[in-house]
Amino acid sequence: MLKVYGLFLVSGLAVGSLYALAGIGLVILRRSTGFLNFAYGALAAAAAMVAWQVADWGAWPPLSWFAALVAGVVLSVAYGRLVAPALAWREPAVKAVATLGYMLILLGVMGLIWDDELRKLSLPTDKIAVTLLGVRVTVTRLIALGVAVAAVIAMILYLDRSRMGLNMRALADDRDHAALLGIPIIKVETLAWGISGALAGGTGLLFGSLVRLEPTVITFMVIPATAAAIVGRLTSLPMTLLGGLFIGVIEAMLTLYKPLAPLRAMTPFVIAGLMILWMQRGTSLTFASKD
Amino acid sequence: MKTSLILATAATLGLSLMGEDAKADGHAPVCGLNTGQAATGEPIKVGGINGNAPPGDFSGGTDGAAAYFDCVNANGGINGRPIDYLVENDQWNPELAGQVATKLVKDEGVVALVGNGSVVEMAVNAPLYAAEDVMVMASGCAISECYESSHIVSTNQGPLPSGIGALKFAIEELGATNAACIGFNIPNNGGWACDWMNEYMSSKGLQGTSILMDPTAVDLNSVYLQALAEGVDTILLMLPAGPAIGLLKVAEEQGGREMFKWVSPTPLYEPGVGEVLGDYWSDHLYINIELNTFDSDGADNQNWVKVMDTYGKDDDRRDTFSQSGYISAKFFVDALLDLDADRIDRPSVTKAIQNIVGVESDLLCDPYYVGVADRHMPNHSGRMVVFKDGGFELMRDCYDIDTNYLEPILAQETALGLD
Repeated sequence: MLKVYGLFLVSGLAVGSLYALAGIGLVILRRSTGFLNFAYGALAAAAAMVAWQVADWGAWPPLSWFAALVAGVVLSVAYGRLVAPALAWREPAVKAVATLGYMLILLGVMGLIWDDELRKLSLPTDKIAVTLLGVRVTVTRLIALGVAVAAVIAMILYLDRSRMGLNMRALADDRDHAALLGIPIIKVETLAWGISGALAGGTGLLFGSLVRLEPTVITFMVIPATAAAIVGRLTSLPMTLLGGLFIGVIEAMLTLYKPLAPLRAMTPFVIAGLMILWMQRGTSLTFASKD
Repeated sequence: MKTSLILATAATLGLSLMGEDAKADGHAPVCGLNTGQAATGEPIKVGGINGNAPPGDFSGGTDGAAAYFDCVNANGGINGRPIDYLVENDQWNPELAGQVATKLVKDEGVVALVGNGSVVEMAVNAPLYAAEDVMVMASGCAISECYESSHIVSTNQGPLPSGIGALKFAIEELGATNAACIGFNIPNNGGWACDWMNEYMSSKGLQGTSILMDPTAVDLNSVYLQALAEGVDTILLMLPAGPAIGLLKVAEEQGGREMFKWVSPTPLYEPGVGEVLGDYWSDHLYINIELNTFDSDGADNQNWVKVMDTYGKDDDRRDTFSQSGYISAKFFVDALLDLDADRIDRPSVTKAIQNIVGVESDLLCDPYYVGVADRHMPNHSGRMVVFKDGGFELMRDCYDIDTNYLEPILAQETALGLD
């Protein structure tokens, strides 16, 4: 029986690392700009589709992976520069709902460009695997976990040690005061949208390879990613990492309990709901920044 | 102006001559009255509803029907009257599905609907069709309501017979004794089909288990591991092509090709599957197909290819649903051609469709029929192919699917003299 638990533990960690990676991208942006970006999954989906398209045109594979990152950055920064500034002084909930609109637009555009055909996005690392507790884990899955951990460490160091990181933290604390202090808000926010977009591009690439290359499925990855970010209270990168992995493991383990197995997809909602209740035990609104 | 007129006339003449040549050498499709003259009378309004939005495109049925109707209109129509085919997309949205059906049935007053393909609209609209006494000759059904309604009859089988057909082959040819049915956690789709799969296995003294998952499930690895933990020897992929391929990819990652017998209903029989699956699954994936193979030499299949080539659009799907839409439209046209063209209205068309009994096509294994009944499933025999070298190879030609679900259907056939 222990071996069976081991199988599902490793399996859960593998998918949880994807949730964590996406959650980290959300938290980085939330901390710097105040936006909880529900379009994050759609950005990842668009990036994955662009990678497929470039590869389908016969391009050198690394070029298609690079194209995914570029697509993520461009689409993210486009929103960050063209739409987000107009909402800078609106309530956090309004900012979040506005990104839902962007998500629907991206989903619609993807539906127009790429019809519902079978597609495959393969990475060379899909074919190489190691066996952990009886489960073959491909190097692509290890990369997902590695990138998530590396992103957390790199962002913590960046925010703590660099001038731009300091600016981002100042912006997160109080946008108005940061502006008065002469912090170049647009520049800092553009960078945050860019970093978040690059992470979305990378996540989309890994997701398209590991799960399936379907825009809708990748787009709705934002749900467990948001749950992971909520576990991290929308601020803590290490907790978001752990939250993503935790959600992945619980979701996988529920497979073993037959009555709940068909309801596994509820896991992110339940965990996020419990976390919100826990966070609400005090007084303040979860997504508010000034209450 | 004069030059343009001459060029246009020359081009028209040239195209006409090419058309005559095509007819003469047998490359032109054969449709309806096949007169070669365009129908010019008062149009007959016919509806069609598809579901084309994420997560799936079910427009093949209406594509196939539209191409055939265009061909019929160019060849004399329904005794001189063209078909005005009005197609709507429900976008997988139940509210929209209800709205577009109401628009077609009540506002446009269509005489019937043909080629419908959706996972949503039949469940929403079956009561409307019955109340308005309008028949739906569907082509892409996947839910129980589509087969258990008085005014819907589909040319495709859907997951239940096709999945059980695949399982029957697995038991008889591959030695399956304990099967897992992996389907969506949707009561009238995966739950319905997998429950009957389990009943089928029990009826054979064998074991079956359902593994149901959310349609947007990400963690397919755990679904695969659940099958492993259940100790089954066969996996039935009761899923649309996308998720089924996702699961096959996970199985490939885990080296699972040899651990199970892999069978699937029709969704994996699609032209693009070879490119996506690669060589790994060659000779290890068996698929039940609801209509004929795409390259069959049968007259109707060949005519379907010609109709799609001549009257279809470049981006039209050419899949099983398209074959199904084509043959539904053909049966519909044949039924209408027996009517007085001046007296075609909804009651006469409903009656004509219900009177269809025992028409045959090489696309189907059994005679097609409608009749007056509270449920319809005329297509319940299939063929089996194996995925091989990027394509498909026929393993077993037409065979019956023997599930207790079909008891009332078989009783209908006996009553109609179709034994």
